[in-house]
Amino acid sequence: MAPMDGTAFAAVSDDAATTSAPIPNPSREVIGCDALSRHFGQVAALDDVTFRVGEGEFLAIMGPSGSGKTTLLNILSLLDAPTSGSYRLDGIETANLTEKDRVVIRREKIGLVFQQFHLIPYLSAVENVMLAQHYHSVADRDEALEALERVGLAERAGHLPSQLSGGEQQRVCIARALINAPALILADEPTGNLDADNERRVMKLLESLRAEGRTIVLVTHNPALGRQADRILRLEHGRKA
Amino acid sequence: MATDRNASGGGGAAARPLGPRARMFTLMVVRALTKRGSRLTVALGAIAVGAAVVFALTSLYFDISIKMSEELRTFGPNIIISPHVDEKQGGESRLADASLLESAAKSLPADRMVGATPYLYGVVRLDRGNAVLVGADMAAMRALAPYWQVDGGWIAASFDDRNAMVGRRLATSMGLKVGDPVTIVNRDRSTQASVTIKGIMDTGEAEDDQIFINLALAQKILNEPGKANFAMASIVADGAEADSLAASIGQRFPGIEARPIRKVSEADGQILGKIDGLMALVALIILVITTLCVNATLTAMVAERTPQIGLQKAIGASDGSIVAQFLAETALVCLVAVAIGIVGGFLLAQLLGQAVFSAWVTFRPGMVPLTLGLCLIAALAAAMLPIRGAVRVVPARVLRGE
Ligand SMILES: Nc1ncnc2c1ncn2[C@@H]1O[C@H](COP(=O)(O)OP(=O)(O)OP(=O)(O)O)[C@@H](O)[C@H]1O
Ligand SMILES: [Mg+2]
Repeated sequence: MAPMDGTAFAAVSDDAATTSAPIPNPSREVIGCDALSRHFGQVAALDDVTFRVGEGEFLAIMGPSGSGKTTLLNILSLLDAPTSGSYRLDGIETANLTEKDRVVIRREKIGLVFQQFHLIPYLSAVENVMLAQHYHSVADRDEALEALERVGLAERAGHLPSQLSGGEQQRVCIARALINAPALILADEPTGNLDADNERRVMKLLESLRAEGRTIVLVTHNPALGRQADRILRLEHGRKA
Repeated sequence: MATDRNASGGGGAAARPLGPRARMFTLMVVRALTKRGSRLTVALGAIAVGAAVVFALTSLYFDISIKMSEELRTFGPNIIISPHVDEKQGGESRLADASLLESAAKSLPADRMVGATPYLYGVVRLDRGNAVLVGADMAAMRALAPYWQVDGGWIAASFDDRNAMVGRRLATSMGLKVGDPVTIVNRDRSTQASVTIKGIMDTGEAEDDQIFINLALAQKILNEPGKANFAMASIVADGAEADSLAASIGQRFPGIEARPIRKVSEADGQILGKIDGLMALVALIILVITTLCVNATLTAMVAERTPQIGLQKAIGASDGSIVAQFLAETALVCLVAVAIGIVGGFLLAQLLGQAVFSAWVTFRPGMVPLTLGLCLIAALAAAMLPIRGAVRVVPARVLRGE
């Protein structure tokens, strides 16, 4: 694991951020998947996958295209449900949750970064971040601006997504994923469409989050990013490789 | 981020004030609307047109009975008061006391009364031949027969015994012009009077061949002091009401009978009934068309926004908040459209009012909530299916790669 760059992310070395976070206990299970399968008709996108992620752990999911990474992440984020097998999140068995419960758990516990940059096109950068706050509790422009500052976009806060570059859009997504201080961050190829410069920024962001003690599951093709993780889960044709 | 809500006791949604929530919600609704120009214009236009027609028709509908009877009244008097004709005596129309006819007419409710006058008929000689002379209260005549088209002027006072009004055909056949002097002579040449022609009128009826003077002068020329053939009254009342008012005159004044002039009173009721039904039908059709149009627009809008709806759900929007957003957007569009529609509808009502009744339609504030209510119901009904579509968006499918 690379040493932390304290100057680039001043907020990380802030006392508030580092000291207020509880010390993670890796033996406490955050994610527990047993024999997870997801079939789309005949296609077994995910087949009998079992793994665990402890509190504060950084897991990278790697594998070729079509190996089921996004499918797995959708299940972990409660956007989708497995065809068979079980998924425990923070000790909660998710199989019997209502759609309402799933929404609540998602917005309380999970920060999502999607494979594509998904922003609301008619809201500015800061308003996109505020929207996640709004659904979680209440929008706070100052906090949202702080989050944008953290991803280096303070000056672009008022811009619409169409006025931002791909890398900038992805950083807005990361700011949005962080805004409610979720315990679990699920990121699907956050650097997939970024140039080296932006990729480095995102990697540093993830690094600082991990230093805060958050649990991170990251899907990536990028071996450099994978090496940053504590562990790597390799998928191939929907199975653990 | 300096604060960590989960770590510092988490949640807190309930403890937060409502203000910023409402503000963020409003911001979203307004942004969502202002950022989709053309589509919104279609929905806005559809609702505005619907609102305009509904507002115009309801305004007309409530104005119409008043305007209608005003209109019908310009066709002339609608109650005739005459001495009771005793069939057994085979009596032709006897003369009655003019004062009795007048008090019978005056017994009609004053607030319904447009005007009334006794009539005395007789044949007289003018300078160039015979003519029918009519004695009436010429001041009241103006209210009673507003449809007369008069060259020159009306006889303004009922005591004026120096002026006459002459029907157009009579004037033409005798070569009379406004301002000409005319001598009216009784047929037995016992009395005569000289008058000036104050006005020549086109009525399209028998009056075109007659000469009109005030009653008192006619009584003198015809040697019938204090007498009249009958009286005519014009009142504001529909068929059934006119019937009962006429009947009450017959009861209070024995020897007098009053009859509504049927043609007008019944036409009144029938035309009103037909127009009511027609307008209700048109309003209904317009509302249905509006609903369909708004439905199509919203369906397209939801389809267009499916990715964003999926995203909103993925980052924690409940079904309720998605529904609330679309309802609020629909309601807001509806409000703006109704405001535009009411202005347009008022102008439309004026156009229709002028075309049909040659009258201005009164602005009725009560029609505003009615129009808004109808349009909201139509728009929200139209929004139901599209909103159900929005709720059914599956975020995983929307957000999955490519
Ligand atoms: N909704 C769906 N319906 C049918 N097939 C699906 C669906 N979602 C995923 N699949 C299939 O499941 C397999 C795994 O897809 P998934 O998106 O998880 O791959 P991935 O590992 O994320 O690939 P990539 O690296 O290209 O993003 C693919 O073969 C895909 O076609
Ligand atoms: Mg994928």
